Amino acid sequence: MASIRNHAERHNAEVYRDYKKDRKVGEGAYAVVYLGRQLSTKKVVAIKKIKIGQFKDGLDMSAIREVKTLQELKHPNVIELMEVYFHKTNLNLVLEYLESDLEMIIKDKSIVFMPGDVKHWMLMTLRGLDHCHRNWILHRDMKPNNLLLGRDGQLKIADFGLARDFGDRNRQLTAQVVTRWYRAPELLFGAKEYGYGVDIWAIGCIFAELLLRNPYLPGNTDMDQLDTMFRALGTPTDAEWPGMQSLPNYMQLNRYPKTPLRLLFTAAGADTLELLESMLIYDPNRRISAREALLHPYFYNRPRPTALENLPKHVRDTPEEAKLKRKAEALGA
Amino acid sequence: MHQNKLSLQNALLTLEQLQRTPSREDGITEEQEDDLRQFGCHLIQTAGILLKLPQVAMATAQILFQRFFYQASLRKFAIRDISIGSIFLAAKVEECPVRLTDLANVIDHLQKKFRRSPLDPLVPFGQEFYDLKNAVVIAEMQILKKLGFNVHVQLPYAIMVNYLKVLELTDHPTIPQRAWSFLNDGLRTSIYICYQPPTIACSVIWLAAREAEVPLPTNPAWWEVLDSNLEDIENIAGHIKSLYYKTLPIPDLPLTINEVEPYLQKQKSIALALADAESRTGKKKGQDGEEAEQAPVQGGDSGSVVPPKNTRVSRFS
Repeated sequence: MASIRNHAERHNAEVYRDYKKDRKVGEGAYAVVYLGRQLSTKKVVAIKKIKIGQFKDGLDMSAIREVKTLQELKHPNVIELMEVYFHKTNLNLVLEYLESDLEMIIKDKSIVFMPGDVKHWMLMTLRGLDHCHRNWILHRDMKPNNLLLGRDGQLKIADFGLARDFGDRNRQLTAQVVTRWYRAPELLFGAKEYGYGVDIWAIGCIFAELLLRNPYLPGNTDMDQLDTMFRALGTPTDAEWPGMQSLPNYMQLNRYPKTPLRLLFTAAGADTLELLESMLIYDPNRRISAREALLHPYFYNRPRPTALENLPKHVRDTPEEAKLKRKAEALGA
Repeated sequence: MHQNKLSLQNALLTLEQLQRTPSREDGITEEQEDDLRQFGCHLIQTAGILLKLPQVAMATAQILFQRFFYQASLRKFAIRDISIGSIFLAAKVEECPVRLTDLANVIDHLQKKFRRSPLDPLVPFGQEFYDLKNAVVIAEMQILKKLGFNVHVQLPYAIMVNYLKVLELTDHPTIPQRAWSFLNDGLRTSIYICYQPPTIACSVIWLAAREAEVPLPTNPAWWEVLDSNLEDIENIAGHIKSLYYKTLPIPDLPLTINEVEPYLQKQKSIALALADAESRTGKKKGQDGEEAEQAPVQGGDSGSVVPPKNTRVSRFS
C-alpha cells in the first residue's frame, strides 16, 4: 500500500481542494487574510495565508504559536482553527470567519450600547479568556480589535500570534507584549515574570472603553502610557503594590492622587465599577482572575445580559449593497 | 500516524506504518534504518547540547525527526538537513528559538568532527554558510508539510518525576538520574511514536529500579495503579536496552543525500562478502549478515531484558 507514505500529502491535497479563496480582506504582519469558502459544506471561512519563503528565519514564531495554542483551545468564545494546509510554499490556516469585531462596534457611533450589551460582551470575553487561562495559555494581545463578533452575536477571541504558555517559574517571558493602550503596568516596568494579570488588565481597559466609547488609557509612548495610567488611576504606592520597585525598569514618576472611578464613569452602576476596579488593580497578584470575575455579582445583577440575537451588530455592506444604498439615498434626496 | 485531525495527543503509528516505512519500501533494511535514525537523533542531541538548548527542545526535535521518517524515505531526505530542521522547528515550538547562524556553525562543526576532518571554523558569510542556512529553512518547511503541522509533542519527563514522587524514589542515589537518561536515550528508538508518555515514564522507572535492585510494590502492581501494563513496559525497556548492545559506526554513516547511495552500496558489498566468506568456510549462516561488524559495547552488562524480536505496537485512533 503506497498510500501510507503519502497519507499527509494526500490529506493535504484533499483539504486544499476543499477550500476556495474569494477575496483579500486584510493583511497582517506575517500573513494575508482571505475570505473563502469550504466547498463541501458551503461554509464561509477566513483563510490566513502565511508566506514561509519570504522570511529569512523560516516560519514565523507567531504562526507556530497560533497553531500550537489554537490546537489546544476549543471553546465557543475562542476562534476555531478548522484546518491547516500547504500550497506551494505557503502555509494556510483555515479559521472561522466572523463579520466584525468589537473595535468596529465601538467606533460606529450610530449604535447605542445598552448596559446589558456591555455585560454580555464582557461575559463572553471572560469565558473565552478563562478557558485560555485554565489551559495555562496567556493571550498577551487582548484588545477590541481581536475580539471578533459573528453574525449570531457570538464573541470570539482571535489572534493568538503572541500567545504562550505560562506558569513555569524558571522561564522568563518578554515584557514587549500587548498593544500599548492595553498593556499592564508590570509590563511597562519590564517584568520578566508575569501571569494571567496582563490579560485581565487589558480586559479592564476594554471594559472601560465599552463604557466610555473611547480608549480609556491612550498613551502616546511607553512612558506616556504610565503617566496616562497614573493620572487616571492614581500613582501606585508601595503599600498598594509591594514589589513594584524591584521591577527591572521601575522608575519614580509623577505622583497623582487617586480619583474615584465614578467621576469619569458617571452612568455606570456600583457593581460595574467594582468589577472594573478589581481588574485595574496595580498589584498583579491582587488583580481579579477570569474565573473570579465570572462569579462577580455584576453578572447576576440586573440588567440581564442582552440576548445574543439582540446584541448590536456592525453590518458591513458588500460593495454592491453599498452602491445600492448610495443610489437610494441620492434618489431620496 | 493519524493526521486527519490536529491532535494534542502524540500521534502513534499503526503496526503497518511501523513495518512498512517509506525507507523500507525504498530498499533500506531495518537495521540500516535503525542506524540512520539513531545517527540523526545523536546529531540532534549533540547539537542541542552545544546550542545550550533545554532538554525538552532536543526531545521534541528528535520526536519530530522520527515522525518525519515515517512519512518520508531516508533515501530522499538527508539526515543532516532534517535533524537541523527539527532542531530549528522544535526550538520555536518550545519557545526557545535558536539563531540560524549558531545552528549553521554547530552543524558544520559536528559534521567535521564526525568526518574526522580538521575542525576549521565555518567561513562567515561564505557560500557554504548560506547553503547550510538555506537547507535549514527548507527542511523546516518539509517537516511541517509532511507532518501536516502536527508538531505538538507530549513528553514524559514531568510525568516521570511525578511518578517517582508517588513511589518515593526521588531521593534514591541512582534511580532518578538513570530513569531520566533512559528517557533521553529512548528518543533514539521508536518508543515515542509507539506509546503514550505515561507508559514510557513507567517503563524507565521499572527499568531503573530493576537495575538498582530496588523492589517496588507488586500487590497490586504499581504500574497498574498508573494505568500501564507490564507487557508494554517490558517492550519499551527492551527497545531502550537494545541501544546499548551496539556502537553506531558514525564515520561511515551518511549525512548528506549524496552520501546515501555510496553508503548503501558499501553495506551491500560488505553483506555479500560476509555471506560469501561464510559459505566458503562452511560455517552456518548466522541470522544476521552484519552481526560481525558491530561489537557489543557493554559486554559485561548481561541485563535480563532482551531486545524484542517482534515489535508490538499499540494502536491509537
